[in-house]
Amino acid sequence: MTKKTDAHQASFRDPSGYMFYDGKTLRRAIKPIYFPQYNKLKESGFFKNLISNDLLIPHEETSVSSEEIILTPEEIPFITNPYEWSFEQYKHAALHTLKIQKYALSKGFILKDASAYNITFHKGKPVFIDTLSFDFYEEGTPWRAYKQFITHFFGPLVLAKYHGTEVFKMMQTHIDGIPVKLISSLLPTRTKLSSVIYPNIHLLAKMENKHSEDYKAETKIATLSKKAQENIIESLYDYIKGMTLKEASEWGNYYDKTNYDEAAFEAKKTLIKEWIKPLAPQKLIDVGGNDGTFARTVIDSVPQIIVTDIDSNAVDYNYKQLQKNKETNMLPFVCDVLQPAPGIGFNNAERNSLIERLSDYAPDVTMALALIHHITLSGNVPFEKSASFFASFSKNLIIEFPTREDSWAQSLLVRKREFINHFDFYNEAEFEKGYLQYFTLEKKETVKGTKRLLYLLKNKNHEG
Amino acid sequence: MTFLYFDPGLGAMIVQAVVAAAAGILLFSKNVMYKVKSFFGLVKEKKDTYDSIDIEEEDTNTDDKKN
Repeated sequence: MTKKTDAHQASFRDPSGYMFYDGKTLRRAIKPIYFPQYNKLKESGFFKNLISNDLLIPHEETSVSSEEIILTPEEIPFITNPYEWSFEQYKHAALHTLKIQKYALSKGFILKDASAYNITFHKGKPVFIDTLSFDFYEEGTPWRAYKQFITHFFGPLVLAKYHGTEVFKMMQTHIDGIPVKLISSLLPTRTKLSSVIYPNIHLLAKMENKHSEDYKAETKIATLSKKAQENIIESLYDYIKGMTLKEASEWGNYYDKTNYDEAAFEAKKTLIKEWIKPLAPQKLIDVGGNDGTFARTVIDSVPQIIVTDIDSNAVDYNYKQLQKNKETNMLPFVCDVLQPAPGIGFNNAERNSLIERLSDYAPDVTMALALIHHITLSGNVPFEKSASFFASFSKNLIIEFPTREDSWAQSLLVRKREFINHFDFYNEAEFEKGYLQYFTLEKKETVKGTKRLLYLLKNKNHEG
Repeated sequence: MTFLYFDPGLGAMIVQAVVAAAAGILLFSKNVMYKVKSFFGLVKEKKDTYDSIDIEEEDTNTDDKKN
């Protein structure tokens, strides 16, 4: 019998089974109520096919008894949530779900739920992680996860199309998707003319409203042929696949706007590469890493790389690049350091906060390039506080400090106008005073041709 | 009826018949348009990196003990 140390906090909604920690390994228990489905999915080769097509996370059968079956899925180093995805990532997660539902239907199964949390990004691609989300298809029944698909995927995507990707953050406050009525009311009236948006959102909202008081479940549910259900799935798939973001073009090439020249840019790259090499990190995170340009300098030697940025378009650009280059060891996601994703859901524990996930992940190297002046001058976060933030999850920290003379730091300072004197603390000495409370100084160098300093710091709590 | 652990929404179940009908018409007309366009050589390549909805099939009749 497998020893269970801890049940997973997010795993209670589905009675078919649950996830638990066996020491540090995450495993999945299946209850007898789901045995018929599980056995059929396994014996028909359904799981095998999904896994070999990289659609479903691979798993091993660890033990089988009459009380429960234990599966051990492949480990996913870092889980990202829907409100941390860029447009293209969100789009692919939606397409991934539809693709699986279509395949399931052709094999006599359905996806019994279509939660966005069933998808995460792993090895550069979306992957379905809820192995127990499948059930038998009953001839003539509509797709019961349809509404969930609209509130978790289609609705947020359509809203993002009209209002920008900030909309995805609404998933933080609505763990079971954005209510259909709200989606409908937020969309421009002209969407009522769309042959896809009208029935899937506006009409759905109307029908949901009309039937919301059917407490006795008296209304008869119309039957829906398999072909009709396939049509719904395919038309949603086509529509989502063709979606583009208006704001995409706004992402000016960041590195064209840098305040230093090509030589300085290369000098910074070389320095970073030199410093990282002897550390031989297994896991690296680049906070505020834009489109991954600097993280890519070490992509061949570091097995796992995370790149976050506040700019959804930069993350999108990074994601497209890694798909194009077929890179499997980089994970980009959207993150605002001044407001990291909180823990949400029941007990505030269903989806972990970013801070928790980062400290569990425990990267060997953290990079924070061209970031501190934003945290300190735009966010007014004192050095000591940002140092404590980085110290909470970093072993080694490579941090770039643009001095007061740097043109970008200058421009941020000038914008403080009459309060500029309140920011006299923004200098090299104060920076070091704050950071050396938590870190020891390993290396310090000026990036050639710039007014910026690069530091390699080691966390005091990780020595030895 | 198989068990259900969340409310699928009655309206959502009913509306699917209409959604499917609309989707059917749309897919049919798209198909016709595609044929017309490809006849005149007007079909553009899509840039999206996500592939098609269909899954490549291997032999599905074997069991998956290894997985």
